[in-house]
Amino acid sequence: MSNTIEHIVVVGGGSAGWLVAAVIAAEHRHLRVTLVESPGVPPIGVGEGTWPSMRDTLHRVGVSESDFFRECDAAFKQGSRFDRWVDGRAGDYYFHPFVLPQGYGDANLAAAWRDQHRNVPFADLVSFQPHLCARGRAPKQAQTPEFAAVANYGYHLDAGKFGVFLRRHCVDKLGVRHVADHVDAVLSEENGDIAALRLREQGLLAGDLFVDCTGMQALLLGGHYGVPLLAQKHVLFNDSALAVQVPYPAPDSPIASQTTSTAQRAGWIWDIGLPTRRGIGHVYSSAHTSDEEAERALRAYVLETGGPADVSPRKLGFDPGYRERFWHRNCVAIGLSAGFIEPLEASALALVEMSAAWLADDLPATRAQLDVVAARFNEAFTYRWERVIEFLKLHYVLSKRSDGPFWIEHREAASVPDRLRELLDLWRTRPPSRRDFPRIEEVFPSASYQYILYGMGHAPEGAARASDLPQEADRHFREAARLTERMLPALPSNRELLAHIARHGMPRI
Amino acid sequence: MPNHALLNNVDHKHLRVITARGAAYGDAVMSALTFPAEFRELQAHYPIVFAKSEDGTSFDALALFGFQQGENLFLDERDGAARWDAPTIPLSVERQPFLIGRGGEELSIHIDMDHPRVARDGVGAGEGAHESEALFLTYGGTSEYLERIASVLRTLHDGLDAARGFTAVLLELELLESFVLDVELDDGSQNRLGGFYTIHEERLLSLSGEQLERLNRAGYLQAIYMAVASLSQFRGLIDRKNRAHAHAR
Repeated sequence: MSNTIEHIVVVGGGSAGWLVAAVIAAEHRHLRVTLVESPGVPPIGVGEGTWPSMRDTLHRVGVSESDFFRECDAAFKQGSRFDRWVDGRAGDYYFHPFVLPQGYGDANLAAAWRDQHRNVPFADLVSFQPHLCARGRAPKQAQTPEFAAVANYGYHLDAGKFGVFLRRHCVDKLGVRHVADHVDAVLSEENGDIAALRLREQGLLAGDLFVDCTGMQALLLGGHYGVPLLAQKHVLFNDSALAVQVPYPAPDSPIASQTTSTAQRAGWIWDIGLPTRRGIGHVYSSAHTSDEEAERALRAYVLETGGPADVSPRKLGFDPGYRERFWHRNCVAIGLSAGFIEPLEASALALVEMSAAWLADDLPATRAQLDVVAARFNEAFTYRWERVIEFLKLHYVLSKRSDGPFWIEHREAASVPDRLRELLDLWRTRPPSRRDFPRIEEVFPSASYQYILYGMGHAPEGAARASDLPQEADRHFREAARLTERMLPALPSNRELLAHIARHGMPRI
Repeated sequence: MPNHALLNNVDHKHLRVITARGAAYGDAVMSALTFPAEFRELQAHYPIVFAKSEDGTSFDALALFGFQQGENLFLDERDGAARWDAPTIPLSVERQPFLIGRGGEELSIHIDMDHPRVARDGVGAGEGAHESEALFLTYGGTSEYLERIASVLRTLHDGLDAARGFTAVLLELELLESFVLDVELDDGSQNRLGGFYTIHEERLLSLSGEQLERLNRAGYLQAIYMAVASLSQFRGLIDRKNRAHAHAR
């Protein structure tokens, strides 16, 4: 390996590997990017929700959003709805939309909500998006150009098709070399860096920087370098999932605008609507329920929501946690190899996007720069994983459910990270503020914490302040209502718009 | 509500069509459809812009008469007598209240019986002697006016057909871009014209020789430059708006 970094080798395909390859190749036209993947290994099928950042990522690598929709069986995602997370009763729901609250930062929306509109769900009051979701409206119109939005949106997609779609784009348009072969051995330089991979058929594949996208097996970072996983099971108990694909009752059945997460006795069930099918899965803790119980609950949910009785769930086990470090020497792990936790807020692909962007933007030019860059990457992403763990824990720690040890244990102090505990204490008397999340690129903005806190009923107490501006807040509530009134009739249903896009695509301008 | 009838010299023998201009006759519109072959004549008087169709799949070319719905700054209606203050009017306006209908293979003239321009002989359409034209002659033949209308409709039909191919090529070569016009009037009030598209001049300048030749051979190159030239008519439109505002006070 020479001193300059010229050849990037991505190990592993799937959405992570091909996204990384695409982002690096699109940014660094002069670099060589090779992706090697085993011909037989199927990618994990659970990664099916994205954040709005995926629109920018796809635009950045140069794909057409029309092609993406047609080839990845994609639908629009406008946020998440959490059912039965607070006390488990029917009618217990709240939204975490992608759109920021109207007038966020201008006034104390939480105080005004608490004082004047306590009977209205917080998200419904401050944003038009929950109303769009409740009516199954799409987040844009037929004439809205590619990647533009009327309401901020991400995607629901078929992760397997997404990988294939990105592979084609990488190979055809971005000059990425695709090698289909098995990695039999990892060869080292004298200093401990990875020199090359020994492939089963094609011999040695040398490289300067290796990206480990081999999924949970983490062939390079875990297998070769032995970097351990920092277990998080004591914070987030879930370690199993049972997943099914379910057809719609009719070809014109409505497609949901959001991911729905329905709390269960020892976990929760995800429900993601694609144009041709729904992806449904039960995420649970094997310490708090059995596989049989979990499967019973999943089947019951499928039937309740219009699905068939005969489904064959696929079981997945995982170790919730993230690596002690992600970048060791000239090897950086992105995707499931870096860590995995339950998909409660669809953070997996978002972290892949952030890692790929970080890597492409701050790629070291020489081996001499590499260690400094690696240390900064590790620091940045350790911070991010910690914030993700805390944000997911927030959903559990605020629940009042007591129908089982799972929920009760989630509120035990030993399972709550210190930083979250401290913040929760502060948030009893004031809303989350930007200063609680001071970095330029936070994973979740303070607004997201407000959506969860107030969706679960934890209004702040505390005396009025000069900056509260309740009349300003009220003006924003009315603005949100006005926008809702204007948007509802103007937006098509998800199914209408997706059918239109399948036939005509989206306009480019 | 449009009420289209196939024009014939029996049912419509005594029909007259009011040819005077005026808001009462449906002229208070902000824009009208146009087509490439007409750009050359219109660019001397009207800004020509493009608008996306409602389903987002295509674009229409429009001549602009004002900055908001219902505003036609060329309609001069002082002292009771209305005039259209420009020497040429787009064909899609001139053809009112007629339209082309398809009856099987044939194209034929239809008339919108509910259009304010339609007046029956002897039944006036308002007070005063408004300019009007007969459609048919005493013994059933078509009047000179109606012959002109037939020619206008044919030209318009062919022109709008060609416009489809023209805008498709503009899209293919990425020669359209959205624009917003911020207008400040003499009285300080601000207005914004948005939602329209215009020729992307930067991309126009970087077209290859092969692409330019293709546009030229198709007759599109001239239309493109006529559309670009028409943008200087925004100055005139703003002047009209200032004058209209001044008179209103």
